[in-house]
Amino acid sequence: MTCLLCQRSLTTKLTLTWLLSWQPVARPVVCAACWQQFQPIALATACPQCGRAQPQRQVCRDCQRWDPQPAFHNVALFTYNEAMQAYFQHYKFQGDYRLRAVFQPVLQQRLTQLTADRVVVIPVTAATIGTRGFNQVTGWLGTGINDGILTVTKTVAQSQKDRQARLATQQPFGLVPGIELAGQRIVLVDDVYTTGRTMRHAAQLILENGANSVTGLTLAR
Amino acid sequence: MQPKDLYGRQLMLTATELATLPAGVQSRPGLTITATQIQCQRCGSILDRQTAQLPKNQFYCYQCLNLGRVSSLTPLYHIPEPNEFPQRPKLTWTGHLTVAQAACAADLQRAFAAHERHLLWAVTGAGKTEMLFPGLAWALQQGWRVAVASPRVDVCLELAPRLQAAFAGTTVAVLHGRQTAPYTYRQLTVCTTHQLLRFRAAFDVLVIDEVDAFPFAANQQLYYAVDHAVKPNGAVLYLTATPSAALLRQTRRGQLKLSYLPLRFHQHLLPTIQVTLLPKWWSVIVKGRLPAKLRRWLRAYATSGQRFLIFVPRIDQLAVVQAAIQRQFPTMRGQTVYSADPQRLDKVQQMRQEQVQYLITTTILERGVTFPGIDVLVLGADDPVFSTAALVQVAGRVGRSQQRPTGLVRFVSGSYTRAIKQAQRQIKLVNRKGRRLRHDVSTLPTVTDN
Ligand SMILES: [Zn+2]
Ligand SMILES: [Zn+2]
Ligand SMILES: [Zn+2]
Repeated sequence: MTCLLCQRSLTTKLTLTWLLSWQPVARPVVCAACWQQFQPIALATACPQCGRAQPQRQVCRDCQRWDPQPAFHNVALFTYNEAMQAYFQHYKFQGDYRLRAVFQPVLQQRLTQLTADRVVVIPVTAATIGTRGFNQVTGWLGTGINDGILTVTKTVAQSQKDRQARLATQQPFGLVPGIELAGQRIVLVDDVYTTGRTMRHAAQLILENGANSVTGLTLAR
Repeated sequence: MQPKDLYGRQLMLTATELATLPAGVQSRPGLTITATQIQCQRCGSILDRQTAQLPKNQFYCYQCLNLGRVSSLTPLYHIPEPNEFPQRPKLTWTGHLTVAQAACAADLQRAFAAHERHLLWAVTGAGKTEMLFPGLAWALQQGWRVAVASPRVDVCLELAPRLQAAFAGTTVAVLHGRQTAPYTYRQLTVCTTHQLLRFRAAFDVLVIDEVDAFPFAANQQLYYAVDHAVKPNGAVLYLTATPSAALLRQTRRGQLKLSYLPLRFHQHLLPTIQVTLLPKWWSVIVKGRLPAKLRRWLRAYATSGQRFLIFVPRIDQLAVVQAAIQRQFPTMRGQTVYSADPQRLDKVQQMRQEQVQYLITTTILERGVTFPGIDVLVLGADDPVFSTAALVQVAGRVGRSQQRPTGLVRFVSGSYTRAIKQAQRQIKLVNRKGRRLRHDVSTLPTVTDN
């Protein structure tokens, strides 16, 4: 076995830092050195609205600019740092589907800790499915490509826009006909919370269709 | 997109490129998938079914991802090489070849013309690039498409300007992973062997320099790349100073023709390796002392001012060895350097300008970095980091000047490893051939210049 990220051979020796990290003990796929490059967000002090890492718990500056939406908040697992950026470069943009295994355990574990009547995944466009062949989020969750709840119209990738342009985009999502959301508590999963525009579009649609609450869950913030 | 961008290439295309697809484009699947096997058509890797799996029964190649992902979702596009080269570039190089080099060059040109697969075993410092010129010039005159490739980027970076200068009338295309300039269709290309994966039946002549720069595992992809980048009837020439067992096996089977250039440009033989068995060398040095033999050698250097390189297996040993030497010989100036050393260029420059008498290093400094007239010492030559090829290359650092064409190559080692024995054997073999060639050359009636 070699580390999925640096290709160095994996020793099975378990260090204390490893045991204290979130990585489950069973079958590690990345080495301790690579894993330590990722920065977990401390829940206790994170922004209560977007999940961003902060020195103390308070609504962050970005979130103060949004209209209040009491039925929505986001939880994020890691800070979007250089290591995370490199990870997304290889997993999402280069399309190395093997790398889904890096965050599968932590993401699935966190999902079980959230109360949900239904898990909804932010979908990828048909064009992306045609070339990339997978949805990066369902890759972690191990559930098909899109989960058949939300649809998405063709949009320019968020990563290719600046903040202003991203904030101005129209609602790109629709609900698959026949899906019943009334009164439900929804967990909405995406890869990164950057401006929050994508997440909030989807949350708004879900709430408009009668859901009780939406908890966002993103790998990075 | 222009047809030229696809001549002899195999590429995946973006939606925008597909919208302007020229006529005559062929496409084929990037992966061949059968019930028992999945193979990447670009890099040749046989893929593990489960690892290569995408949703919906699609697959991708995880072995050549950094060239853009090959998958069952998108085909590879290609236009057969038409050799659309209106100009016939001439050789503008005006240097001279030695008699031995000229004979070898003629041999290579004949091999190109005969569409052969050929291995040239040329000792380090033989001047093999210049020997290529006549054959390459001939091939370019035929309107052939030619590439010179190497597994090592630094070799490509060094070759490109020399080939550009030798064929000043044409533009040489340079392709490697650190390159940002866009691809252009050219008659003469210098590239890494990795970049060859983007070509298909493109070259009439394909030269692979320093083919043994990497261990065999990495070489399987290399051979696949070479076989597919060259035209089915094209000529392939492998150049090496230290052929691997695998290459030599191919020559014995008759799949490759072998020729030698056993003499260095100054007609001298390779220095032979002297091995001294000192199993405890490291435990002595680590205490800040020097083994008696080593002390004696270094004292001679301190007296004579003779310059030298010391190779050690690991970076963390550099400072320890330097401390021990400085304690004994405080007036002798030296530096330590390793490949990722931020001050590497500076230190190499100091050695070149003779501001320091010695360098302690872990790495064969890049090609082209030669210090005329030096001796070489390898400490821990039995360490697995020193492969046969590495040891021969290390020895080849010695005797590279006309003024001092010989020199000492000393290995300090715990035992005679296979790699050491093979390095000694390779040097002995080329020197035997060199002696014979020197004899033959001296009896030739005329001296022919290029
Ligand atoms: Zn790693
Ligand atoms: Zn916030
Ligand atoms: Zn491949």
